[in-house]
Amino acid sequence: MNDLKTLRDVLVENLERNMMPFPVDKGICTGWTRDLPRSGETIIYTSCMYQLAPLFPIFNRFLPYLSALKSLTPLASKLKPSEAQLNRAYNVLRKISNALTAKGIKLAYLYDDEPYSGALLLELGFLDEFQEYAKKVYERFKERGVKRIITVDPHTHHALTRYSEFFSFDVEVVNYIELVEAKEGDGNVYTIHDSCLYSRFLNLRDKFREKIKVKLVEDEMVTGKDTSFCCGGPLAPVDFKASEEVAKARAKSLSKLSKNLLVQCPICYVTLSPHFEGEVKDVAEVIL
Amino acid sequence: MSWEIAVERAINNNVPRVYKILKEHPYILDLAKELREAKLKVLENLDYYVDKTLDSVKRAGGHGYLASTPEEAREIVGKIVGKGKTVVMGKSMVAYEAGIREFLIRQGNEVWETDLGEFLIQLANQPPSHIIAPAIHLTKEEVEKLLKEKIGGVHEGSTHEELVARVRQFLREKFVNADVGITGANAVASDTGTIALIENEGNIRFSSISPAMHIAITGVDKIVPTLADATKEVLVQSAFAGLYPPTYVNFTSGPSSTADIEMKRVSPAHGPKEFHLILLDNGRIKASKDPVLREALLCIRCGRCHLHCPVYRALGVKWGDPPFTGPMGAMWSYVVYNDPKPAMYCAHSGNCKEVCPMKINIPKVLEYIKWKGNKQKA
Repeated sequence: MNDLKTLRDVLVENLERNMMPFPVDKGICTGWTRDLPRSGETIIYTSCMYQLAPLFPIFNRFLPYLSALKSLTPLASKLKPSEAQLNRAYNVLRKISNALTAKGIKLAYLYDDEPYSGALLLELGFLDEFQEYAKKVYERFKERGVKRIITVDPHTHHALTRYSEFFSFDVEVVNYIELVEAKEGDGNVYTIHDSCLYSRFLNLRDKFREKIKVKLVEDEMVTGKDTSFCCGGPLAPVDFKASEEVAKARAKSLSKLSKNLLVQCPICYVTLSPHFEGEVKDVAEVIL
Repeated sequence: MSWEIAVERAINNNVPRVYKILKEHPYILDLAKELREAKLKVLENLDYYVDKTLDSVKRAGGHGYLASTPEEAREIVGKIVGKGKTVVMGKSMVAYEAGIREFLIRQGNEVWETDLGEFLIQLANQPPSHIIAPAIHLTKEEVEKLLKEKIGGVHEGSTHEELVARVRQFLREKFVNADVGITGANAVASDTGTIALIENEGNIRFSSISPAMHIAITGVDKIVPTLADATKEVLVQSAFAGLYPPTYVNFTSGPSSTADIEMKRVSPAHGPKEFHLILLDNGRIKASKDPVLREALLCIRCGRCHLHCPVYRALGVKWGDPPFTGPMGAMWSYVVYNDPKPAMYCAHSGNCKEVCPMKINIPKVLEYIKWKGNKQKA
């Protein structure tokens, strides 16, 4: 198991400094759009998850050595996803943004001022630190006049819906899937890996099923509501090896159903892709 | 690799069977709801119910004890059993938690686990990997090899039935000659002092009837208000374990007795002369006073959460402090051993809370334990 005390210190230090979990080039987060206004009551909130997710496996491999090499963490800001990885992430975000706009929603985006949600603190059980940091995020939203947040990934959505357990949080949180109009599929047959958070914590499993109009290959023992396993990604900051074991097992059972896999979360994408025998796509890439 | 094969087979055998049982016997879900309420009633006032249970055991002609620690439990068992005895044990994870088997062997007794899974891991000198299927990590092929080495009498390519028959043959003589039988208890009724046990093998019935002395050891969390609640617990537990109807349901209230002469009830009759119930605390009473950890104590040990958990599927016995493995084990490793590390491995997949008969929000409890563990480190 990784040294979570040091990881906590690194996270808190960076969140205090620039409201991001580790040193990052903010240009990576914001490069997907220049068209959206910088302020408005309704924002699309990326928490930089899609943009940074390709770097997570690199960070996770580094974490076992974090205690000894903590002084090297500022170098993380020099890391960048590959052009292909970034284009893919940007494409997902643009598709979501365009689909929301097409529904007549006036979207704003906070660009450089967009803070990270604090999801990692919550998921690692640093609840005091999460509470303190979440209040700052809330203040940022209030300062910018945000009244409604549209999330694009499950970890951010889950973290925001938990804010009200810790303090009074009066901003509406809604996920993009609840708002968009889905297109017909691309003609391919897919199997599906549900996000654990969407499926069993946020009550969005059926909403995804309703919007996905492609043919899905399902098996009650593999893709059922209480049989579908986690991708392993949330375990990576704790124990990368264990996370990989979970990921391999999950990818193996999904590979038996189809060579095309739909995921709903950027972490599921980066965790399952190396092990899945076939092509993995985000649901937004296919239905929007 | 063998773990992957073994757990895959167990999941594919068990999970659909539980769905089928719950579909065919929907009243189980109502019983589960009622049981949760009954257990909460006890956990909100555990000290009172412990005293009431011990009084009831005494009234039924038995001897009741509260052991605060595993050491105290071993001391009590040691005094009752003594030395040079043959002891047969029905499956009891609390007995494992308290180290009873090894202690009695060290004290000079011949001790045999009689539940097939427990017997196998005793032979293999391994810890249990699942709360009700302790040898779930062994494939049939590995069981064959183990029996061949340790007790002989099996041939290459033996069937499941042949392997079971060999163990039956080996243990039969142990049952007949045992001086003491030690079991656990799936539930303890505080109003009558009755222990309830379910099983399918018949080993618990043998262990609790044949020897002259029956010792039951279980956690204080197994106390329920009434004998009716105890009945619910065994039915719900067996259904969610995928073993419904249970082949045997055993209720024991004190030593054996008869009222066949002039309707006067006297003891003993054919069964044990003595009945002892040891209730183990070991962190449970403290946990019952914490509103979040109290939820963990509702667990009825059906083991269903294990088979729906991706982390258990990948890590098996490596996740948790045996006998407490899997999602429920991550909670119980903290309750009993004050170890928050297993909780850190919860990936909040959430399947466990979906399938738990007691509706324990296991990820929420584990998040709380993570928080407690992080605070300890800080």
